[in-house]
Amino acid sequence: MAFFRKRQQNRAAAAFDPDASPYALLEGVSLTLSNRQVLTDISLRLSERRIGLVGLNGSGKSSLIRLLNGLRLPSRGSVRVFGAETKQALAELPRYVGFVFQNPDHQAIFPTVEEEIAFGLTQLGEAKQTARAGALDFLAQHGCAHLAGKPFAELSEGQKQLICILAVLVMQPRLLVLDEPMSSLDGLASRRIHRLLDGLDQKIVMISHDLSLLRSYDRVVWLEAGRIRMDGPPAEVLPAYEVDLEVRAAAPLNGEDL
Amino acid sequence: MPADPEKEMSMNDRTLVQIAFYAALTAALGLLPKLAIPVAGGVPVTAQTLGIMLAGVMLGPVRGALSILLFLFLVALGAPLLAGGRGGLAVFQSPGAGFILAWPLGALAAGLIMQKTASWRVLPAAALAATVGGIGVVYLFGIPGLAFLADMSLAKAAAGSAVFLPGDLLKVVVAAAVAETVARGLPSALLSRS
Amino acid sequence: MISLYMPGRSWCHRLPAWLKLTGLAVVSMAVFPIKDIPVLSAVLVLVLGLYASLGTRGLGELRALRPMALMLAMIFALHAITGDIWEGIVSVERLAALVLLANLVTITTRMDDMLQAVMRLFAPLGWFGFSPRKPALAVTLVLRFAPVLLGVYSSLREAYQARTGKRGSWRLMGPFMLQSLAMADNVAEALTARGSADGLADNNPGALPARTIT
Repeated sequence: MAFFRKRQQNRAAAAFDPDASPYALLEGVSLTLSNRQVLTDISLRLSERRIGLVGLNGSGKSSLIRLLNGLRLPSRGSVRVFGAETKQALAELPRYVGFVFQNPDHQAIFPTVEEEIAFGLTQLGEAKQTARAGALDFLAQHGCAHLAGKPFAELSEGQKQLICILAVLVMQPRLLVLDEPMSSLDGLASRRIHRLLDGLDQKIVMISHDLSLLRSYDRVVWLEAGRIRMDGPPAEVLPAYEVDLEVRAAAPLNGEDL
Repeated sequence: MPADPEKEMSMNDRTLVQIAFYAALTAALGLLPKLAIPVAGGVPVTAQTLGIMLAGVMLGPVRGALSILLFLFLVALGAPLLAGGRGGLAVFQSPGAGFILAWPLGALAAGLIMQKTASWRVLPAAALAATVGGIGVVYLFGIPGLAFLADMSLAKAAAGSAVFLPGDLLKVVVAAAVAETVARGLPSALLSRS
Repeated sequence: MISLYMPGRSWCHRLPAWLKLTGLAVVSMAVFPIKDIPVLSAVLVLVLGLYASLGTRGLGELRALRPMALMLAMIFALHAITGDIWEGIVSVERLAALVLLANLVTITTRMDDMLQAVMRLFAPLGWFGFSPRKPALAVTLVLRFAPVLLGVYSSLREAYQARTGKRGSWRLMGPFMLQSLAMADNVAEALTARGSADGLADNNPGALPARTIT
């Protein structure tokens, strides 16, 4: 019956500073998942407004961003987010760090749009009725009032991802972490979501395979085999990454690096 | 405070989600038209008890039973999730109520057997668990329930219930095969063994 | 969500859910021991009258008996074979009355109201350090998963059919479980990412100003 019990954690222990700069600080971080070394000796200071993360599948991008909201904890080294060691601040992290998953079908928890949005508000302690009203307001602010009562399963891909992002934004996090949010979207939906993200006050760390989306970013980190291969402004990192992709793609197909 | 707070916390959410998952699976099994197998006598036999077997076998006794209780809770609230679109409080006053109320106990028994046979291979353990939990326990309560609710002798009730037996045996085979597949493909999902 | 609820504003709709639930329990217990055919018939007529009082749509809801018709016929037959025709009639009448009474509550009470009424019974969980929020969250998760599972199954069946030309079979259950269990793990992760099943409400009060959405 243990899982019925409320989480017993020392919640007051973590000292968050919402205005900390850098907002995330990784020092000598390594991560091992089921005997596989996923990240090796990563040190990063993240303070830019918009940071992109590129790299091949399996390079450790998803694990790296999961360190930022405590979904993964480092096997070695330390991760501080808004001044708090993630290990000590798990219960509080979702308040500061919003996380958008790659596949909206995997993120949505509730059957209808309205409930999905209201959940964020009840998580913050609002009563059911006020959360519901707040959700409707929030949807209306973003021009989505007509989606409120719809079943999530009946939305288009773009609508699904939009709702997932709004469901996270309604909690007003300071940092928004996105794991390839555009991968299932068509050109128009992806541009629209990109514009929405662009206008947000939140700091953003985003993984993307669509490099054009990252050109306007402040910084791009290129991850390869669990290590940082390159880190700098997009004008330097993106061309280098593209050249590397071309070189690799030109080699004979061997089924190894796909 | 547990040694690994990340694990404790995510297990907590994961457990809740898994309990809901098997409740939903049981519902879906009643809705899948392709899995409904008609059996002689016109008694509609569906895959629903497969959900009971799997909940116990995969989740273990307590979580398995809770999962099926959750399913029945939804049915009682008025969701037409029982095979054939039945639901609501009427189900619990129908002649088959004994069978349905025995489902959580069946899942409990199946889960217990999975734990007691932890040293066995998954396939035979799951087959035994599904047979005892999904057939043995369910009939043990269902038949007297039918006899009581419909004013008939135990023998008559048993004879009337026997039509379900072939379908239920088929489900044992499927449940065991599924448990074996999951044990190989996604061992962490076999919560009854971890 | 699919539900057996029949929207309306009849006298029975307007009764509070808890009253209907308690009433059903009391009446069912009173009806069960009756073995007298005239009395049972009267009860059954009364129940039919209740349905009629909801209007023609109410009478249409009598179809709730249809999925049970076979079972009732079987029960009657089992009695009749051994010569207890009267006993067969008693059983069938009583079962029909009980089922219809329960169904009456179901069709006139919104699922939400029913949930609210029952959730009050879960409140004491909080006194013992359990989270009364979890049962409600679990209910929602089931409603969310059920259609997704059907979707996973149908796309698997399509993939299977595309390569074999055959309709779905039991052999799809294994892959179906693997795929949908992986999906469930993702949802669990998403739940953790948004503050877990217990929520963030009693965390660190005062760390942030109360939020209002305007």
